[in-house]
Amino acid sequence: MSHREQYENKEIALIDILDTVLDKGVAIQGDIVISIAGIDLVYLDLRILVSAVETLVAEEKDPLTSKKLKEEMEALSHVTK
Amino acid sequence: MAELLYLYGVAPAGKNNEAFSDLMGIDGEHPLFTIGFEDCMAVVCRLDESDYGEEIIEKKTKELDWIQEKAFHHHETLLKLRERTNIVPMKLFTIYQSQNRLSDVVQAHREDWNELLTEIAGKEEWNLKIYCDPNRLRGNIEKNHPDVLKKREDIAGMSQGMQYLQKKKLDGWIDQVVEEEQLTFSKQMHDTWNGWADRFMEKKIWKKDVTGKTEEMSWNGAYLISSENVETFLELVTEANDRHRESGWKIEVTGPWPAYHFVTLAKSEV
Repeated sequence: MSHREQYENKEIALIDILDTVLDKGVAIQGDIVISIAGIDLVYLDLRILVSAVETLVAEEKDPLTSKKLKEEMEALSHVTK
Repeated sequence: MAELLYLYGVAPAGKNNEAFSDLMGIDGEHPLFTIGFEDCMAVVCRLDESDYGEEIIEKKTKELDWIQEKAFHHHETLLKLRERTNIVPMKLFTIYQSQNRLSDVVQAHREDWNELLTEIAGKEEWNLKIYCDPNRLRGNIEKNHPDVLKKREDIAGMSQGMQYLQKKKLDGWIDQVVEEEQLTFSKQMHDTWNGWADRFMEKKIWKKDVTGKTEEMSWNGAYLISSENVETFLELVTEANDRHRESGWKIEVTGPWPAYHFVTLAKSEV
């Protein structure tokens, strides 16, 4: 197996995706201005969301659906209460 | 019903408008299509204003699970696009009121797109993170560091009161060594990797409450690498992982990403 195959499209943590798509990429002025209260706040709220197990396999057939996320979010907020 | 356009990215011209119509847009209803300009094309999908108007989105952005779902879609779609074309990726939620508005913006940046597309052509973005188990690192230093062994020997010959004070001092000093070791190791790794990269961007090191891991992050960087160098680059990572795992180091690689970290525009806004 090549080294590329070993690493390609593997487990990308949600936090990595959020950090990248919210903060990086070309930022040109769209007509609809989205204010997600700043990335730092997203990080702050993520504390209740992010857990070590919450990684996504990018090629997974059944990507993390919002329902699943909601369940995880609830479960995690219980833990952090 | 008014329609909006969601912009995923800008790619070189040359594909037909339906080239990506097998990919579904961010609302899960409208497929992707392209709008061609002279030498580039915008990869977009339509959105109903009633679902994605400014006020509605404003409200929705307070729902983290909604943002996450959309972020994941944006990411996944750009991954698929990247496999099929060179593309300059946009930030999440780049939305225009009309095709005319989008045209204005894309036209205004024509030179930028061409420059960026040339710069990232044939290259791949890979992200690397170094994690460290500080306890294991500390254990190693306590056991093997020549200065620590020497100091401990000195302390053994001191009076009890002195021993207590000096041990405390030694502990503090070891903490420092652990921190320095994290920096040195990361720097050393980075220098090796960077030798194979065309460009590099240092990212913020995330605290444990963000990563949710037990290990501490000691390095976070994005590398833009020519496709022909990727295999060597990754081989170096595997080697480093094998060699340093026992001492408490773990290197995590993700990619290839669209070149998110290497597509800054000269003019930031239109």
